[in-house]
Amino acid sequence: MTMIPRLLHVALVVVLVIFGGFPVYWMASTALSTNAELYNTGQSAGLQLQNLPSLLSELSKVPLLRWLTNTSIVALGTTVLSLTLGALAGYALSRFRFRGKGIIGFLLFMTQVVPEALILVPLYAMFISLGLLNSLWGLVLANVGFSLPVAAFIIKGAIDAVPYEIEEAAAVDNCPRFGVLTMVILPIIAPSLAAAAIIAFFAGWNEYLFAATFLMDNTMWPASVGLASFIGQYETPLSAVMGAALIFSLPAVVFFLIIQRKIVAGITSGAVKG
Amino acid sequence: MPQITLGNIRKSFGSSTVIPDFSAQIEDGEFLVLLGPSGCGKSTLLRMIAGLSDISGGDLRFDGTAVNEWTPSQRGVAFVFQSYALYPHMTVRENIAFPLIMDAFQKWYHIPVVNSVMRWKLMRRPDIAERTDHIARQLELTPMMDRRPANLSGGQRQRVALARSLVRDPSLYLLDEPLSNLDAKLRTQMRSEISALHKRVKKTFIYVTHDQVEAMTMATKIIVMNKGEIQQIGTPDEIYANPANTFVARFVGAPPMNLLNVRQHGTVLSLDGGAEWTHPGILPTKQASLGIRPENLNLRPEGEGLIPIEVSLVERLGAETLLGCRMVSKAASETLLGEDLIFVRVQGNPQIEASARFGLSYAADDVRWYDQTSGQAVTVCDNSPLSRCA
Repeated sequence: MTMIPRLLHVALVVVLVIFGGFPVYWMASTALSTNAELYNTGQSAGLQLQNLPSLLSELSKVPLLRWLTNTSIVALGTTVLSLTLGALAGYALSRFRFRGKGIIGFLLFMTQVVPEALILVPLYAMFISLGLLNSLWGLVLANVGFSLPVAAFIIKGAIDAVPYEIEEAAAVDNCPRFGVLTMVILPIIAPSLAAAAIIAFFAGWNEYLFAATFLMDNTMWPASVGLASFIGQYETPLSAVMGAALIFSLPAVVFFLIIQRKIVAGITSGAVKG
Repeated sequence: MPQITLGNIRKSFGSSTVIPDFSAQIEDGEFLVLLGPSGCGKSTLLRMIAGLSDISGGDLRFDGTAVNEWTPSQRGVAFVFQSYALYPHMTVRENIAFPLIMDAFQKWYHIPVVNSVMRWKLMRRPDIAERTDHIARQLELTPMMDRRPANLSGGQRQRVALARSLVRDPSLYLLDEPLSNLDAKLRTQMRSEISALHKRVKKTFIYVTHDQVEAMTMATKIIVMNKGEIQQIGTPDEIYANPANTFVARFVGAPPMNLLNVRQHGTVLSLDGGAEWTHPGILPTKQASLGIRPENLNLRPEGEGLIPIEVSLVERLGAETLLGCRMVSKAASETLLGEDLIFVRVQGNPQIEASARFGLSYAADDVRWYDQTSGQAVTVCDNSPLSRCA
């Protein structure tokens, strides 16, 4: 690469980093401003690190770590359950021929058309009878209901693209049927699994409506509901909200950075001719 | 090592029957080639033998035991796919060792983390590691054991596929057009490698191809198929020298056998358009097509020989030259007859140009006769000791 295109390349990367990083910087800047500044004079552009102790003391008044743990349980539970069931459903939809296959695919798709708010009340009634109210696992199940069809469709599409001969080769090699899925197919479609994992994880991480409705006890709240609880009748401590939101977003960013490395194209190349 | 018996094997997909009725016996240690055009059912037959496709009717027996319901792994066969079918997420070493690891697999290995740990441990088990390395050395794959299939050439991938099938030491090798994706040079090399492999392991090979060169050079026995039916079973020499019908005569050989729909008048043969000549031997008792291989036709100067011809096409192949010729009408010497080209194989590279005229001669023993209606071979009987119907 010659000098000028390289400089342009670097300049473009710098612009994109600023564009992507600015909201995060602004969150940090807001968190380190005082409420007086935020409501009256406006926040300064720099990071006022001298306000860090007061921010931390403000955040220590709420069970932030507990909320984050709850969020993690819900998000990881949603991800693991969605991927496990989605892999089985996706494999069956892709490889097996059975009566009603088209209808099942259509019904799975239809779950994405229904808004969460529409089924909130029936779901609430159902959760009462199943004893799932005020339970993180109940919340995981509700989230899986929405993220599983997406995961199943992503995985089905990925398995469709895997040549069937690879499965036949595994069968000849004495690999049991379930082993074909776990040892051959799933590693090959790892990029799609990672994409489905990201979708399921963020669906669980960001979910608010079900959590706010089904969880009464504030020690059971995930961070999304906890953040909303900062809003008071007379005032909202904006700097604390931003500080908590910043902490809330960090684990999700770390998860994304770990998983997105798996999203690489072309893992099936070399399997068959062409 | 099993003797394989295919008894009235039938295969249907819905209402369409691909293989109506196939019966054959494959002896232990044979290199059998299923040869036929695309869509003739040869790959379907191979997949039924492997257990990858259900058998719609008939019996498949290994050493007398019906194996129709056996799974591919129970049949203990190795299958090399046309498209390699390697595991793309595994290294060459892992690909080759996979069948051995599966042989040692226990149900509880399905538990996710246990699975990875056990496979890692099994890969390092001395017998598995040794066997994997041994096969890799045999097929010259040692330098690329830690590469993934995506980083290998077509020939290397095919060798990995072969190595994976070899590693379990099965008694039956099934190969489905394994060389069709390779370039001409590599195909020749792999052809000799597979032949050498067969001689070394002394196991039964069933090899599917539509390439007659592969069939002729590798097989100990060939089954020529068309539309799901056996056309001829025989050694490569038998199939080439004495095709059982016009399909085999046209399919085996490049260029194929010349077939002329001649009419007989005593010892004189004639074609539509006026060409006629006296056949130098005995003729069949009823009207038949004359078949003769291109290398059995001899070029004579114009005016000599039995059949006057004009060269229409010259293909110089280096060591030999193929001439595509048209017969010249005897009555009107300017008229070229509209039959298919008659191919003549000439050694070397003679300076013959298109439109040159010659005569053709042949020996009566090199001629094969075919019924003009059924296409089946017709035997010609005479009283000589060499007569084919003696």
